Amino acid sequence: MARTLLRHPFLVDRNRLLLLLGAAALALVVVAVVVSFGSGGGSDSSASTAATTSATTSPATLFAGLPQRGDTVGKASAPASLLVYEDPKCPYCREWDLDTLPTVVRDYVRTGRIRLTYRGIAILGGNSVIGLRANYGAAPQSKLWNMVVAMYERQGDERTNWITVPVITDAAKAIGANPEQLLKDADSKAVTAMIEASQAEAASRGINQTPSFVVERPLTQPVELNVTGLDPDSFTATLDQALR
Amino acid sequence: MRLRAAIAVFCVVGIGIAAYLTVVHYAHVAPVCVTGGCEKVQQSKYSELAGVPVALLGLVAYAVILGTTLVRGVTAAFVGAFVALAGVAFSGYLLWAQLGPIGAVCQWCLGNDLTILVVAGLTIARMLTEPTT
Repeated sequence: MARTLLRHPFLVDRNRLLLLLGAAALALVVVAVVVSFGSGGGSDSSASTAATTSATTSPATLFAGLPQRGDTVGKASAPASLLVYEDPKCPYCREWDLDTLPTVVRDYVRTGRIRLTYRGIAILGGNSVIGLRANYGAAPQSKLWNMVVAMYERQGDERTNWITVPVITDAAKAIGANPEQLLKDADSKAVTAMIEASQAEAASRGINQTPSFVVERPLTQPVELNVTGLDPDSFTATLDQALR
Repeated sequence: MRLRAAIAVFCVVGIGIAAYLTVVHYAHVAPVCVTGGCEKVQQSKYSELAGVPVALLGLVAYAVILGTTLVRGVTAAFVGAFVALAGVAFSGYLLWAQLGPIGAVCQWCLGNDLTILVVAGLTIARMLTEPTT
């Protein structure tokens, strides 16, 4: 093959060389244009949302004024519940919570269309269980959802045991919870029961990956969302379909 | 003929990598990873272009180049070289993103970079040596 190329008189075939150079230049231009338009000039919508979330929406402001009780946030009169199955160490869950949850809270929870129910499940090992305990441990202080988001903001490499007491304490302080009380509650039998109930419910529904979402409404069968994307636009489109 | 066969073989390798990454993208599962950064790369904004997974774009590109190996002539060679060169340019952009903004490297992306580089070299060689029909 190399010999064929070396023997070939391409050095004198200027037309092909010019064609090749033209192809290379055109390829560069096409890629530059596609990247430029496709990514919206270097920042896509989800990245913008994430940046906005980080910059302006702390867990406190995100849920400010919304009633929280146990694992649920939102008005009790909401006609539907969105059950969110998450693992504290799951990177996709972090993506959803930081990028899309603010939109869901603003457009669906605050408007009374749904309430959110946290279903913490551990699919990434024992360190995830510690994270679940921390999240559920914030429930008695009516700050479970704040804690969920605060923990995702501190998420480390999923292969490491990054969920430690200092991380939990830091997150608890950030959301205005009492860290000592949270740690005490995290170790309670009530929290153990909540985690076991959540795991059992997920198992009974065949949920073994996170994040997973189920819409529950009175007198109808629960509907698991077939989510095609975790960005706000894709997710809300799927949610709208389920709520029809 | 040998060049076209070689291009086809490497395209099949590229299709394998791109297909795997496309599947894990839509399944929302973590790819098998020894470099430790695959998931970070996969969930970054650079993993999609206008909502389309870049892995899927790669899959289409490899399929097109593979298709050109089934056709003789300078035109097919030109199309193959053009798509491969575009692939190299785009892979370069993604490599920059991994080393820069993302701060993590994915073994599958590196495998793809190598594959598309070889495919581009072979398609260029083909374009320069393809007999005029």
